[in-house]
Amino acid sequence: MSDSGTSQQADEAAGSAGGSPPRGRDLRTALMQPDGWRLERRLEVRPTYELYATVIALAITAVLIGLLVLLVGVSPFDAFSSLYEGAFGDRESALETLVQSTPLILTGLAAAVAFRAGVWNIGGQGQFIAGAIGTFFVYDMFPGLPAPLLIVAMLVGAAVFGAIWATVASVLLVRYNTNEILTTVMLNFVIDYFLSWLLSGVWQASNTPYSQTERMAENTYLPRFFDDSRLHWGFAIALIAAAFVHFMMRRTSMGFEFRAIGVNKRAASYKGINTAVSIVAVMAVSGALAGLAGAGELLGLHHRINFEFGEQQIGFTGIIIALVARLHPVGVIAVAIAFAGLVNGATQMQISTGIPAALVTVIEGVALVLVLVAAVACRYRLRRGAVHADESAEGSE
Amino acid sequence: MEDFFTYSVILGIFVATVKIATPLLIAATGELVAESSGILNLSLEGTMTIGAFTGFLVANETGSLWLGLLGAAAGGAALGLLMAVMTATVKVNQVVAGLALNILGLGGAFFWYRSVYDEGGAVALPTVDRFETVAVPLLSEIPALGEVFFDQHWLTYFAVVMVPLTFVFLYRTKYGLELRSIGHNPEACDMRGVGIISRQYTAVIYGGVMAGLGGAFLSLSEAGQFFPDIIAGRGWIALAIVIFGNWRASWILVGSLLFGFLEATQLSLQAQDVNLPYQLLLALPFILTIAALVFNRSRSRVPLALTIPYHRGER
Repeated sequence: MSDSGTSQQADEAAGSAGGSPPRGRDLRTALMQPDGWRLERRLEVRPTYELYATVIALAITAVLIGLLVLLVGVSPFDAFSSLYEGAFGDRESALETLVQSTPLILTGLAAAVAFRAGVWNIGGQGQFIAGAIGTFFVYDMFPGLPAPLLIVAMLVGAAVFGAIWATVASVLLVRYNTNEILTTVMLNFVIDYFLSWLLSGVWQASNTPYSQTERMAENTYLPRFFDDSRLHWGFAIALIAAAFVHFMMRRTSMGFEFRAIGVNKRAASYKGINTAVSIVAVMAVSGALAGLAGAGELLGLHHRINFEFGEQQIGFTGIIIALVARLHPVGVIAVAIAFAGLVNGATQMQISTGIPAALVTVIEGVALVLVLVAAVACRYRLRRGAVHADESAEGSE
Repeated sequence: MEDFFTYSVILGIFVATVKIATPLLIAATGELVAESSGILNLSLEGTMTIGAFTGFLVANETGSLWLGLLGAAAGGAALGLLMAVMTATVKVNQVVAGLALNILGLGGAFFWYRSVYDEGGAVALPTVDRFETVAVPLLSEIPALGEVFFDQHWLTYFAVVMVPLTFVFLYRTKYGLELRSIGHNPEACDMRGVGIISRQYTAVIYGGVMAGLGGAFLSLSEAGQFFPDIIAGRGWIALAIVIFGNWRASWILVGSLLFGFLEATQLSLQAQDVNLPYQLLLALPFILTIAALVFNRSRSRVPLALTIPYHRGER
């Protein structure tokens, strides 16, 4: 597909550039001095290269953040060790990290699934809110249901509401060809204000001035694993969802179609895949996963929706997690736990070293920037020597 | 409800409309130029936050609001430069790069602010003396109109002046036309020998500067202080305005005023305790933007190569 690299450059070098564009001064050509170092596009990028590149990027992130901490006047060793202590230092904090990672795994998967299919669902945040609304809607509609059935119904409600909210964007995309990046971003705000309206209107708890719902009945609480931790079944649901996503993408025809439209939409449609159906389906799956995250937070932790519900930006963080994990379901679990550990440990770090907890957001941003750059960089290699026409044959090294 | 339709309330809404529209308009005209070069900069929210902070920081340290504006421009330019490096040179996916820098901008401003001003948990927020409004001689004497349009901040006049200037730049100057050509068909420009990367850098950094200034309007003209949530979604609204305005400077002005008017009205409704769902007014800009995307699709002026990185020799 994009083998261009070597052969075409060789053509240019040989002066037989029949119709190929003249050279300019972008980075690649600037580095391509006849005898100097030059960047060369790899014909094949092995998964291990991507892994190494990601690890290197994260290591550089750690160094940069260490320098930043030094700049603030704290020893990076103290900062990182208190961060680690707060995140994984003892049983209590380690379990709390898993609690925090639960919604992030689900929104991370939501983003990963959609991005794999080349559909830019930036609406995880809105679908997360939609899921919480769906959960409470089912709770509100069927007060008489016995607890186990009600919990299942609420989880389904969350998934359906998340999927519906994602479908708004995907239908606009396949019907009117509106850019899904822009519509999902807009829809995040729309549902935010819709929730605000619900909370100050029909769903507002009586006898309180706050914008919040009634506290949900105790039989709707997701069971907890241990007496001494808030870790709830939502975490298991998240892990099952990750396994489901992995299986779906690798082993089902639907997953194959999602990956196919992600690699090359036109080729996929020539092969007979109905790309419109696939796009709607993948957005629905993605929205359902984000919606489940909303249900987990509501039923496992908060038990009521209030105006702070969306403030942690779980959906947006999910996007970062998916990208740092290079869209891999297992990677999503690992990165989500790491990010949750950062958030969890930051409180400890702020108390014992005085470094603002906002450092976590900086870490997330720097890590993402570097991982993205690394992902591009590992598609190239640095070579020395003249460009030879016969190099087009080599692909493995 | 009768109280609501009084002269003073309605005049207040219009004055507020122009104030609210100012940062939106500054950021949106900047983003228009960036997007014209084919680069969608989703990091406006973070860039405005950085601008609001660096502007405040410099103004607070030096005591000069004008140096503060310079600081805001520099802060915005820095993030714009990063965006340009990532998208024009490294060719990372633009959406992803924008989101990354958004996080970096928000987190960076918050972290920096806390490191500088939060020694020992001081409660009192530092403040600077805000920019005063500047009354235009004579014109500001006109009843109602004068108060709404001619007794505003320097940055407001700047924002309005930038609308025709942006149009002239994009449609009547060689550089601007080349920029728009790159946004539509980079391959053709490359063949004609128009340097793509340098122009994209210029456009994206310019967009960053404008976003920084838009943020500084909030910290230096409106609030007189900085707080982490100061932008409160305005970066995203500015992005929406570019789409709503169908990538045309004049309609971006209309969009800014319309969205500003909706916001001003809802603020006034809440202040007067009028029992209407003010959330609808807040959501309306985003709904209208989606509607604009749908209804303008046949006459859309979106740069055709928007979000598509250009690799020479590949299709």
